[in-house]
Order: sequence, then structure tokens, then C-alpha cells
Amino acid sequence: MSTISVLGLVLLLLMALVGGKAGIQSFLALILNFGLLFLAMVLVAFQFPALTVTLVVGLLVLALTIFMSSGDDLSSTVAFIASAIVLVGLILVIVPVEHWAMAQGFGPEDSEDLEGLSVLVGVSFTQVAIATAILSTLGAIAEAAMAIAAGLGEILEQHPQVDTKSLLRDGIDVGKQIIGTTFNTLFFGFFGGFLALFIWFTGVHYSFGEILNDKVFVAEILMILFAMVSVILTVPITTWVMARAVTGQRRHQAAVTAKKDDQK
Amino acid sequence: MQKRLHKSRTTMLVAWAVVIAVGGLLVWVTQHNAQWYHEPIVRVTQVQTRSGTTVEDDFHNQDVQTKQILTGKILNGQYAGKTIVLNNVYSRSKAMDQRYRVGSQLFVTLHHHHGDLSGTVKDLKRDGPLVLMLWVVVGLLLLIMQFSGFMAFLSVALNGVLFLLAIFLNGSTQGARVLWIFGSLAIVFAALTLWLVLGATRQMLITLMTTLSGTALALLIALLVFHFTHEKGMYYEAMEYVTQLPRPLFLAETLLGSLGAVMDESTDIISSLFALKRERPELGAAQIFKSGRQIGSTIMGPLINVLFFIFVADTFPMGILYLRNGNSWGYTFAMNMSMGVVQSLISGIGIVLAVPLASFLASRLMTKKVTL
Repeated sequence: MSTISVLGLVLLLLMALVGGKAGIQSFLALILNFGLLFLAMVLVAFQFPALTVTLVVGLLVLALTIFMSSGDDLSSTVAFIASAIVLVGLILVIVPVEHWAMAQGFGPEDSEDLEGLSVLVGVSFTQVAIATAILSTLGAIAEAAMAIAAGLGEILEQHPQVDTKSLLRDGIDVGKQIIGTTFNTLFFGFFGGFLALFIWFTGVHYSFGEILNDKVFVAEILMILFAMVSVILTVPITTWVMARAVTGQRRHQAAVTAKKDDQK
Repeated sequence: MQKRLHKSRTTMLVAWAVVIAVGGLLVWVTQHNAQWYHEPIVRVTQVQTRSGTTVEDDFHNQDVQTKQILTGKILNGQYAGKTIVLNNVYSRSKAMDQRYRVGSQLFVTLHHHHGDLSGTVKDLKRDGPLVLMLWVVVGLLLLIMQFSGFMAFLSVALNGVLFLLAIFLNGSTQGARVLWIFGSLAIVFAALTLWLVLGATRQMLITLMTTLSGTALALLIALLVFHFTHEKGMYYEAMEYVTQLPRPLFLAETLLGSLGAVMDESTDIISSLFALKRERPELGAAQIFKSGRQIGSTIMGPLINVLFFIFVADTFPMGILYLRNGNSWGYTFAMNMSMGVVQSLISGIGIVLAVPLASFLASRLMTKKVTL
């Protein structure tokens, strides 16, 4: 058996032991997410428009991740809507910055890996770079949105009559609690992946200015920064969506009670 | 009350205005800092585009190559102020080339030949977008999260400095001790970050123990699996930018990559358990353990996802190139995504193990009375 399947089985076993049915469901979500990511890659390689593919796949990934790993209805719906808004907002940030930075495709550091490959393949690598940046932050957006929505859901459970203004403040407070550890998850996650690249830079003695303007370096750092921006934006946006949802619910409830009173 | 609210709104508006103004200033500086560089920089003032030619490769991929004639002004060095004409070719896919625009600033190599000044374009100057995005992150953190945002930024910045030092140390030992260096670094990283987030408390100690043992156990399990499966289906040659022995480097990457997420998970579980114990001091160890498991199992899935997308999305461009070059899906996966998937799985194991570890350690080591 290959290493990947054994490691996968170990993970499945552990998730089932620790989380029971929910654990198995989360594992399933992970597999499906991998399938979606691979599908996106194949579709873009078949010259489907990268941005559209990414947007559709991104929404599917968010829905899968959020609805398959949490039960509470209001929080997950809020988390999904909020993360979808963040996704669209993120695209508005990423597209102009990527066009400005022109950090798409491959750099001189990749030449060894590119040996024997044709790079004139007719697929716009600017679009691919935008897609890559968006896809790499999907997990972080979903996680942050779920954490904020769950925290607010708990507050609402304990104080059902909390007014919108304090709910907004509570949301930011929940965000303050998670931002430190979330940033570190992103930092370590990305820097773990870039370790080899950074070692390369010191080994080949790039100057500071060369590193700061290097295509591959800028592309990687921009990915971390996009992920951080999306996590920060997730906090107020999730809170806002939750406040709207709660207000809507209350108005609905008030209408229902008024109707009942009328019938009496 | 109304007046105070009004005042705080004015303060917020001023804060936003200051952040935006500083950001604008920083970006302006990056557009006018050519003097800071030794390499000659040219600003493009005029672009002439010739008609494109269609090219086709062995796999029937069609692309269009277009020639640009760029007129530009040299911004720095001994030829500052002189005008220069440069040639550039770009393709529709732009994987290894660029389409430059009026206003683009380029690093060039100048050739001085019999009084004629000519040059070749090396690369685009990219410090502008980098500084802008960095400022967007810092600005948003400060505006929305204030002090907590500052602390989050501080811990990332400190970790970044440590990371750089470790890389220099690794370079000076020729990469022979990469696993030792980054293994000890992981301990320092975790201790420093948790100290910044939680302060020197019992809670911090328990979280640190969970983080380190969870990460170490995951790596141990991975090594065992590697041993029994003889690393079948793992392609170290698929790793990018490798300049030293790939196996220890891969383990160091995995160790660092999973550390943050395991820390995130442990912090969440343990702080919730401490809060629970504060609210209901009568809860026994068994009940605390049970709640910890419950909290942990809802957050572990999304957290594994975070790392999965970070590790695997990065391979997207190369994967597309492989597919367009007539490679099969299986080969494309093996040469691009397999190592990322192995990394995600190992981190996933660490994240899941953190749940029982955190619950167990918290339930046993929390004192009967939890003080604020």
C-alpha cells in the first residue's frame, strides 16, 4: 500500500475515534475538497475560464466545509453567507494587485522543474495565479467564519435579547480572541511550505533588493497577505451577517406574535 | 452617551484617514525609490506593439507571441535621466514573460557599446504591491482589532525574525542539521507565541505541552508509516527549490507547517475548558475531558482544511502546466500534489491527536480552583 493511503487510513481512524460520526463526515469533506481542487485544476487546464471555475469551486468548497462539519443551523448558514461575501471581496482585492505585481507563472528558480516542459500553453497564468491565491485561502476563510459564527451563536443562546449594537461589539471581541492563533496557523502553514525557497535564497546569496522584487518570493508573500486580509475581513462581515439574520428573525417572530394576537 | 458615541466615531474616521494616508505615502515611496537600488531601473514611457505570431508546441498548444518596443527613462545610476529603447517579447499565457505597460518600472542590464546605450529587461520592480498589501494587513489589523491586532502582528513578526535567523543558521551548517535546527525552533516558536497570547500561566503551559506532544506524535506516526510502506508513492524529486538533502527538509517543512494549526486547536480547546471550569467549578475530570473532545471534534475538520488548501493549492500552476504538456492525471498528481497531500495528512493527524491530548492534560492538570 502506498504511504498516502496508509496515512489517510490512520487519519480516518483517528477522526472516527475522536469525533465519531462527525469525524467521519469531516474526513469525507476533506476528500471531496481534494476532488474539487483537482477538478478545478483539470477544468482550467482544459481552458475553462479560471476565475469562473474558481468562484464556483470556491463556493462549493465553502458549503462542503461549513455544512459538513457543524450542525447548528443558524451559525452555519451565517458562516456560509459571510464566507461567500468575503470570497467575492477577496477577488476584488486580488485581481488588481495580481495585475500590478505581475507575479504569475514561474520564475528563474523554477527552471530546473520546467526542463522539458513547454511553457507556451495558451492558458493565462495571470488568471491561474489569481485562482491559486483564492483557492489557498478558502480553508482559512471557512474556519474563521465558522469560529466567529459559533462564538456569536453561543452568546445569543445565553443572552437571546442582546441588541444589534452589542452583538457587533461581541463579534469583534470573538475575532480578537481567534486572530492571534489564526495568524500563526497561516504563518506556519505558509512558511512551512516555503522553507525550501527561503533556504534557496540564502544559499544563492540573493541581495535583499533582489529577494523583495523576485517573482516567486512576491507571489508567495502575496498569498500569505491575501489570506491574512481575508481572515481579518471575515470577522466584521460574519458579525454583520449574524446581526442581519438575528434582526430578520426577530422581526419575523414579532410579526408572528402580532398575527397570533390578532387572531385572538 | 450620544456625545461620546459621536466622538468615538470621529476618532475612527481620523484613524481610517491616517491609515489610508500612510498607505498612500508608502506606495508613493516605492514608486520613487530607484536610488535605493544598485541595479539600473527604467520607467517605461512609451510602448509600441508589433503584430503577434502564433506558435504551436508538440502538444498542439497554441499561443501568441507579441513583440513590444519599450521606450523608457533610466531612473538611477550613472546614466540617470537618459532615454533607452528596449525590446520585449510576451506570450498570451505569460508563464515566463511579461506584458509591460506605460509606467512599469523595470530592472535592466545596460550595455555600453561605442557610445550607444542598449539594454535588456531583467524583471519587473515589485516592491510596490508588496508594501501595499503588507500595509493593508497591518492597517486593517490595527483598525479592526486594535491592541489584539497589534499583538497578533507582533507575534508573527517575531516568529518571522526567528525563522530568518534559523535559515541563516541552516545555511552556515550546509543544511546538515536542518531537522534539529527547525525542531528546536518549533519549541521556541510555540513557547514564544503562546506566551504572547496567554502570558506565563498554567493554561499556557498546558497548551504548550499539548502543542509539542501533538506535533511530535504526528511526526513519529508518519515516520513509522514511512518505514512500513517504504515511502511508496512519495516523490521527493517532486519537491520544489530543493538545494539540500530532501527528506529531512521535507520533515522540517511538515513540522513547521503543522505546528501553527496544532497550536491553534490546543489553544481553542484549552481556553474553552478553562472558561468552563471557571463557570462550573463542580465539574469533574471525566466531564471536562468529554467537553474537550466535543469542542475539539467540531473544529478539527475545518482546521485540517486550512492547511490542506495552503499546502496543495500552491501546486496549481505547475499542475496545469503538466496537464497541458500531455501528462496523465496520475502522473500530474504524483509529481506535483503528492508531497502536499502527505504533508496535509501528517498535519491532520497532529490536529486530531491534539484533541484527546488537550482534553486529557487540561482535565488532569487544571487545579480545582481556577483563578482568573
